Amino acid sequence: MSISESAHSSPTAIENTRSTSIRSTFKAQSAIESLSSIITTVPDSPNPSSSLLNDPEIASQISSLLRQADAGAGNDNLCRWLYDTFQSTDPQLQLVVLRFLPILAGVYLSRVTLRKPLAGFEAVLLALYAHETTSRSGQSMTVNVPDISHPSIYHESNTAVKNNATNLNLEVISPSLEPHGTVRSTKRARIVGVALELYYSKISQLPVASKIDFCEFCEAWAIGGDHQQDSSVNNNGERMRIPLSWELVQPILRILGHCLMGPDQKQNKQLFDAAYCACKSLYGRSLHDINPKAMLATGSLLSLAELSLDDIDYTEIRITNAISL
Amino acid sequence: MSESGENEGDVEFVREVCANGVCMKTSEVEAKLDKGNIEEAESSLREGLSLNYEEARALLGRLEYQRGNLEGALRVFDGIDLQVAIQRLQPSLSEKPSSKKGRTKSDVPASASQHAASLVLEAIYLKAKSLQKLGRLTEAANECKSVLDAVESIFHQGIPDVQVDNRLQETVSQAVELLPELWKQAGCNQEAISAYRRALLSQWNVDNECCARIQKGFAVFLLHSGVEAGPPSLASQVEGSYVPKNNLEESILLLMILMRKYHLGKIKWDPSIMEHLSFALTLCSQTSILAKQFEEIMPGVFPRVDRWYSLALCYSGVGQNKAALNLLRKSLHKHEQPDDLRALLLAAKICSEDSHIAAEGAEYAQRAISNAQGKDEHLKGVGLRMLGLCLGKQFKVSKSDSERSRLQSEALKSLNCAISFEHNNPDLLFDLGVQYAEQRNLSAALRCAKQFIDSTGGSLLKGWRLLALVLSAQQRFSEAELVTDAALDETTKWEQGPLLRLKAKLKISQSKPMDAIDTYRSLLAIIQAQRKSFGPHRSVSEVEDDKVNEFEVWHGLANLYSRLSHWKDVEICLEKARELKQYSAEMLHTEGKN
Repeated sequence: MSISESAHSSPTAIENTRSTSIRSTFKAQSAIESLSSIITTVPDSPNPSSSLLNDPEIASQISSLLRQADAGAGNDNLCRWLYDTFQSTDPQLQLVVLRFLPILAGVYLSRVTLRKPLAGFEAVLLALYAHETTSRSGQSMTVNVPDISHPSIYHESNTAVKNNATNLNLEVISPSLEPHGTVRSTKRARIVGVALELYYSKISQLPVASKIDFCEFCEAWAIGGDHQQDSSVNNNGERMRIPLSWELVQPILRILGHCLMGPDQKQNKQLFDAAYCACKSLYGRSLHDINPKAMLATGSLLSLAELSLDDIDYTEIRITNAISL
Repeated sequence: MSESGENEGDVEFVREVCANGVCMKTSEVEAKLDKGNIEEAESSLREGLSLNYEEARALLGRLEYQRGNLEGALRVFDGIDLQVAIQRLQPSLSEKPSSKKGRTKSDVPASASQHAASLVLEAIYLKAKSLQKLGRLTEAANECKSVLDAVESIFHQGIPDVQVDNRLQETVSQAVELLPELWKQAGCNQEAISAYRRALLSQWNVDNECCARIQKGFAVFLLHSGVEAGPPSLASQVEGSYVPKNNLEESILLLMILMRKYHLGKIKWDPSIMEHLSFALTLCSQTSILAKQFEEIMPGVFPRVDRWYSLALCYSGVGQNKAALNLLRKSLHKHEQPDDLRALLLAAKICSEDSHIAAEGAEYAQRAISNAQGKDEHLKGVGLRMLGLCLGKQFKVSKSDSERSRLQSEALKSLNCAISFEHNNPDLLFDLGVQYAEQRNLSAALRCAKQFIDSTGGSLLKGWRLLALVLSAQQRFSEAELVTDAALDETTKWEQGPLLRLKAKLKISQSKPMDAIDTYRSLLAIIQAQRKSFGPHRSVSEVEDDKVNEFEVWHGLANLYSRLSHWKDVEICLEKARELKQYSAEMLHTEGKN
């Protein structure tokens, strides 16, 4: 293509952005080309990476492939495609891979106890984990909970300066990341958890459909697929109750918080409802596990979802019968 | 707001417009507007109420807006050159407040200009609202922003507390509150963040409730938008004050400030603030700080039993189980809510971890089981599981043989019964395995341990350890070692301590002291590396109970060397051990043998 041509021309800023965008379109086109050998219909589109991300037809084909009984093995072409697409390092294409993370992680965690070969799923998850490890340079993420007896940018305080030994309430919210070349079983939850942290960090750019997929899997993870005490029905082990350690629960809570109270929820009732159901299931699960932290967090989300239903608009003007100057 | 509440039925129908002491019915004007004759409507207002052009337009625009005729309102507002109007306002207002300290009668012209300013700014504000309702969000945001820009250029020093026209202040406050909402609705997240910070860090003189709503709105946005805001600009940072460095910190700060405002009586109680704070602090596992927030809330806001329960969750969340249990005892007292299922289960769980209070826990569990009915029936299995665990713990401290065998069989019965309720809960398999192992029913224990590993996909270390221990109890040391090796393959260096200690002991049991020494060496290397690499901060998951004690390792090594009669090595190991713990019976024993 014209990549080499534009590289020869004068390196102005505009040219540079143009050549990056050409390169990225090129990458997206080649991703679409290789995808067309995996799924049946790939629509023609002037903006390939956007249609990979948003096209419902592509999404439903990929989703059903990921849900197939033999998906995720080492020779799974779709997993290879997801892996390669993520490794393209093109941010738009990486979003496409993240878009399918809920289904991939959902199916993976549900099936992992069935002793099926899942190296394909694992390769994708490890790629996401490695990406996050590099971008954080392995560092942990910490939160220093403020002590409001000290002044801050948003408030003043009388008891300032006097005591300089600030109460440090430093908490590691995501421990440091060590490199993993394989998924060791005791690290599985952590690896998926970190992939979900990456998902959360890009969540504002991901389509609502992907978030709804996520909510549905949360429900399955929390209570399993057998509401009616019928353990034989769990469609290829797709809806399996899984161990929920904090390293998984924490990113799950952040994502659900976004789904319930983020910007999409207002326009999209379906997302709100899915997230609400997921929260309810997780709350129920936390009661069963008697897990205080999960109870507190899911309990708060549920109350907030209920409180959010009556909103007053304070920016509306006073409507009066007499308008005066 | 109160005014609009009085006449809800016909609020949309404006009856009159008033100015300069004169009122006129709007029907005639409205008829002209409906025909599209803005100019005629305007001139009849100007004549009827003796207004100038802008005043008439502002009134007309508001009339159209209230009538819900948004396109019409926009057409009317488009006729006002707002920029010119704003420029005209600037000199008269900006000079006075800065030059004169005393508020004398000479402020009167300023207040007249304020009135004009108020009119113009309200017109722009309504234009923004109209655009918002028409879904033209970016345009709306830009109009709304121009209100704030205008205010900033009119009042250089921020809005003074006093002598500001009420109506002007109201428009300003509404614009301050509206702008971030518009950017959010337009999907412009970075602009929303700047608008929030501009609202909160500059002087707009908004009232407490309005400021609180903006702070809450920003906190929620930071918590849930999924957009990282980045730290606030350097300009807003004051020496010595706390500057949040990520979304979670900033939102927690804002929510805590809101809670303080509530305590000081500046704002009314808003339950959602506490829920947001509870979510945010729990996310960072800081439930002890959350407990402090609950404690500060005035009695009467929450029913006390609910408050005790929330506090118990907070304390238990950071492992302060004693404090949690004391609160639960209060709420389970016969005069409070003795049958509260959630409290009973949490209390039973806490008791199940300590053999001295396990009997108390068994009682809670019994009560939970009999109260798990109707929609709570699904919790019956949890109650049975807790009962089984408590009885199993009670067994350990029981003195009489008959009592012991009764406790044993009841513990097993409860756990097995729990499985019929929660057949897909692997934790029960583990509990059962441990129970069987303690009762020396090793083949049953082995079966449970295997099933547990299968159903958790080997993801939990405790399963591997249980299996290895049961095998070793059956004297199947080499198999136990195989399991330990398999477990080592499934873990990373940092979690290998307990497994290596187990492996060393298995080597000793197989009379392979040299291998055991090697294993101890790798264990020591890990412990020492761990001490170096983890600074003062540790996450909760790292302070788990199964940390290997360095003293124990040195002492074990000393024992091994002493068996091999390597007296010099024994000396070194004992020396090391003594550095960690000066007096210890076990060590003196080893020393004696030496």
